[in-house]
Amino acid sequence: MVASSPLVKMQSLHKSYGDGAVQVLKGIDIEMKPGERLVVIGPSGGGKSTLLRVMMGLEQIDSGSITFAGQPYVSSASREKKTLIDTEVRRSIGMVFQHYTLFPHLNILQNLVLAPRKVRNEPKASAEARALSLLERFGLAAKARAYPAQLSGGQKQRVAIARALMLDPKLMLFDEVTSALDPELVSEVEHVIMQLADQDMPMMIVTHDMWFAKNIASRVIFCAGGVVVEDGPPEQVLGSPREERTREFIERVFHIKQ
Amino acid sequence: MNYTFDFSSIAIGPLLDGLFVTIQLTLAANVIGIVAGFVLALLLMSPFAIVRVPFMLFVEFFRCTPAIIQVVWFFYCVPMLLDVFLDPLMMGILALGLNLTAFNAEAYRASIQGVPREQRDAGIALGLNPLQRIRYIILPTAFRESIPVLLTNGIGIFQQSALVAIVAIQDLMYEGKTLATATYRPIETFTVVALIYFAVSFPVSQVVGLIERRRALAAA
Ligand SMILES: Nc1ncnc2c1ncn2[C@@H]1O[C@H](COP(=O)(O)OP(=O)(O)O)[C@@H](O)[C@H]1O
Ligand SMILES: [Mg+2]
Repeated sequence: MVASSPLVKMQSLHKSYGDGAVQVLKGIDIEMKPGERLVVIGPSGGGKSTLLRVMMGLEQIDSGSITFAGQPYVSSASREKKTLIDTEVRRSIGMVFQHYTLFPHLNILQNLVLAPRKVRNEPKASAEARALSLLERFGLAAKARAYPAQLSGGQKQRVAIARALMLDPKLMLFDEVTSALDPELVSEVEHVIMQLADQDMPMMIVTHDMWFAKNIASRVIFCAGGVVVEDGPPEQVLGSPREERTREFIERVFHIKQ
Repeated sequence: MNYTFDFSSIAIGPLLDGLFVTIQLTLAANVIGIVAGFVLALLLMSPFAIVRVPFMLFVEFFRCTPAIIQVVWFFYCVPMLLDVFLDPLMMGILALGLNLTAFNAEAYRASIQGVPREQRDAGIALGLNPLQRIRYIILPTAFRESIPVLLTNGIGIFQQSALVAIVAIQDLMYEGKTLATATYRPIETFTVVALIYFAVSFPVSQVVGLIERRRALAAA
């Protein structure tokens, strides 16, 4: 692959809910280069989660397409037609959700090894060894045999990240992963994501934490009303936005923080 | 009221024999109800109406008729209709087992459909295919969720099983009635019988309460 060829190329994504009643994505075009860390900000209800869910192949779309590393990934010609999603390509993308979504009936180690064992037929010993070393790295080695209900929110979220990493994703998606956490637990999760950034893991992050956005982003997208309003380096979008709507949003968010 | 209680003529031996039969009935009906109820729940969720509807009617039959009619009907009508004659205890087990199957199927169905959508999303994001998601995520989570209801239904059948006494199965209730008649001490006899039912049911109902309190704590 040529260094500058995009990792992700979204073209004219349209998506509505309820048989076209609610238009949520109204033509999204985003190109993401390998190694980029895209932070998506914007008002609640603006379609950020929908965008990530489409990227994860969790949603049907009305029209548009996504390619991943040059491969066709998601495409749809019209709302009436079934969206084509390449499940092989989907396996190279990992996602962490706002509400942990650990499997409650499995302990932490089992949560981590389930997918590698079933999806890739990885031998138990090898999957467990990798899981334990990841847990070690995230400061969770002591929790390997605990169940999700016994963990704090911050611990659960770190486990969810580790679980996604077990499949060696080429892109990680984070949808407001600290929004449900008590304030004192936010930094331990953000710290883990920073570690991944240090290893050049490509990621798309939706967050309301502007401090985190500034520190982790290589590029920021302001998304509102189902379109990309502004797209640029963090200094621009967060520091001196060109668009009036971005400025209003940034001012409001920083104002609330103080 | 100047009734003097006299428990001296209440022989506990026959009552315990009856309890043994009642427990056999309950355990066997629960094995049927837990296994067949699960299969029935899957059939109830079939995307094909031709599969789903007959089984829905089956469930509704048990939910919308008195259990005593079910037992009597099973006992007198099934042998005549199908020309099969089973041992009475077997008939009792089948009648109660099918009743429990219907109620447990509803419990399973509700908890399978109650598995949060996020669990499905997480399964997709981890690359599991639809069958793997059902097998490794949806069903185990749903099964755990349904345990309190299964226990409640199961202990309900323990109590309902008293109905089989009317078709001469020699369970706890039947032995109680026999003893009451023989001793002319119905009040004492049925007091003891009630205490025996209570002594078995109460611990199970406490366990259900405990599970539910722990769930509420874990969810908080
Ligand atoms: N499953 C759904 N069904 C119907 N409407 C939905 C669904 N999910 C989201 N929406 C609607 O789509 C819009 C965008 O939602 P979302 O993508 O969650 O925005 P954001 O993450 O930016 O807050 C909102 O108006 C929301 O109510
Ligand atoms: Mg959202």
